[in-house]
Amino acid sequence: MMKMKKRKKIIKWIVFLSALIIVLVELFPIWIIVSSGFKRDLDIRNNNPFDFKATLKSYELVFQKSDFVPSIRNSLIVGLSSTIISLIFGSMASYGIARFRFKGRKGLSYSFLVSRMVPQIALSVPIFILFDRLSLTDTHIALILAYTSFNLPYIIWLLLPFFSSVSPSFEEAALVDGCNKRQVFWRIFLPLTAPGLVVASIFGFIMAWNEYIYALILTGNATKTAPIAVNGFMGQYAPKWGQLAASGTLILIPIVIFTLTLQKYIIKGLTAGGVKG
Amino acid sequence: MNKSTNMKRLPLRKKRGPFLYFILPAALLVGVVLVFPIIYGFGLSFFHWPQVNDGTRSFIQFKNYLDLFKDQEFWHSLFLQLGFIFIAIPIELIIGFFVAILFNHDFPFSGFLRTLLLLPVFILPILSGLTWKLMLQPRYGAITYLLSVFGMEFPQGILSDQSLAYTAVVIQDIWRMWPFMFMILYAGITSLPKDVIEAAEIDGAGFLKKTFAITLPMLRGTITTAILLRTIDALRIFSEVFVMTGGGPGNGTMLFSLYIHKQAFEFGKLGYASAMAVILIVISLFFAFGLVRKNMDIDTM
Repeated sequence: MMKMKKRKKIIKWIVFLSALIIVLVELFPIWIIVSSGFKRDLDIRNNNPFDFKATLKSYELVFQKSDFVPSIRNSLIVGLSSTIISLIFGSMASYGIARFRFKGRKGLSYSFLVSRMVPQIALSVPIFILFDRLSLTDTHIALILAYTSFNLPYIIWLLLPFFSSVSPSFEEAALVDGCNKRQVFWRIFLPLTAPGLVVASIFGFIMAWNEYIYALILTGNATKTAPIAVNGFMGQYAPKWGQLAASGTLILIPIVIFTLTLQKYIIKGLTAGGVKG
Repeated sequence: MNKSTNMKRLPLRKKRGPFLYFILPAALLVGVVLVFPIIYGFGLSFFHWPQVNDGTRSFIQFKNYLDLFKDQEFWHSLFLQLGFIFIAIPIELIIGFFVAILFNHDFPFSGFLRTLLLLPVFILPILSGLTWKLMLQPRYGAITYLLSVFGMEFPQGILSDQSLAYTAVVIQDIWRMWPFMFMILYAGITSLPKDVIEAAEIDGAGFLKKTFAITLPMLRGTITTAILLRTIDALRIFSEVFVMTGGGPGNGTMLFSLYIHKQAFEFGKLGYASAMAVILIVISLFFAFGLVRKNMDIDTM
């Protein structure tokens, strides 16, 4: 018996050590980008990559002599606006699908789901022409609408299981008390689903934050988003690796917070629509 | 489900009610920013529309499609994009599966370590591409440096060789996405009925037998779903490769998505690019419908 226990303990530590090594190897590239942010461009190019003498020089340059700060502002405006629009219209649509039975209900909801899976690059030409004709390129509105095109269907599908799992008894009671169905949705139902709404909006925001294709074709100097600005440090001739890494580390912060706090919702969000085992 | 009892219990569902109020705004918005572009792009694919000179459009029926079939670079780019499906996804699946089995054991900090593994999945695609580009720089890149310690020298740089560059781009994808497979498979493994596995243990099944004769077959549904999700993803790959190699050297990493971008926004051939876009949409929808048919039902989620 004692021997068994001892063997189990050894296995436990071997498993722990292997898992630790896997995680360390996996995080190596992230460590490279974070540590490079604390080096100067010159030192990165001239030294052994594992030499390390921390300096904030690259961060200083990023904040003082680049378009990174305005690009963060643009990313926040576009990300938050498209998320709010998608959340309002998405929660309404999700409620409509979850609570009403109407002709074409399945067809409509599957179109929402499938349309999200169309690659953005395949839509880039018509989207570009659309906003070009409306003279909206290099405006926040164009990017907000473009981001809504993938955020809205995504949020509809993310919210559906949350919404279906709420018991209709509260709404029924409110109907009996004389509320109409719109009031029931806004005043009774939506507050009940607040946790689902928070998760959906965070997922929506992160998708907009990470987006690159539409930003590439729709933005100019005025509305450049953070990913465009970070890639801008590649420059035309010599890459400014230090500043690129510093700004890259900064735009990674929301992602890290998101991953660490929302861990338990992440599988649901990734598969958007419930995986049956 | 019995329809009549269902309705009795849920008076909300009795009438069709003002569902339009709830559905219409979303449907209109999706119509304008998604459905309209798809239809418009389909229409464009039958036109010759160069963005040079006066930029007049001319209707040319199926000529764009016929030209595509003769375009070597089209086939090459399609081949490279599909390569992700056939090379990267199986490797991601294998790594993800074995790490999921490892994490199915009880050990300290397992929850925290599992969370850390998710970071690469959510890292910005361009940041992943740029990080790998940095690590692969000749001389000062971390990976180039480590390889040189083991006697493997790449004086020209790994990204300036066509097949090495493609390998690097694929490895970048594997790095980012095997934890995705891991998470889905881990969720699958932990939800398997414990008694079946315990019964096998009592019958004296070893690790290999337990894994391949019991766990793996029971996970078949989960694995299919994971593969379909990743396949749809692989058809969307663009940004990370665009910033990492720009499709080069030569056309060594010119994926289908990058070729569409090049034809449209570098050469200004909007009609030709639209024809390629239509082909990409058709391939994506094929897998999307597969996924939906397999395991997404709006009423049983």
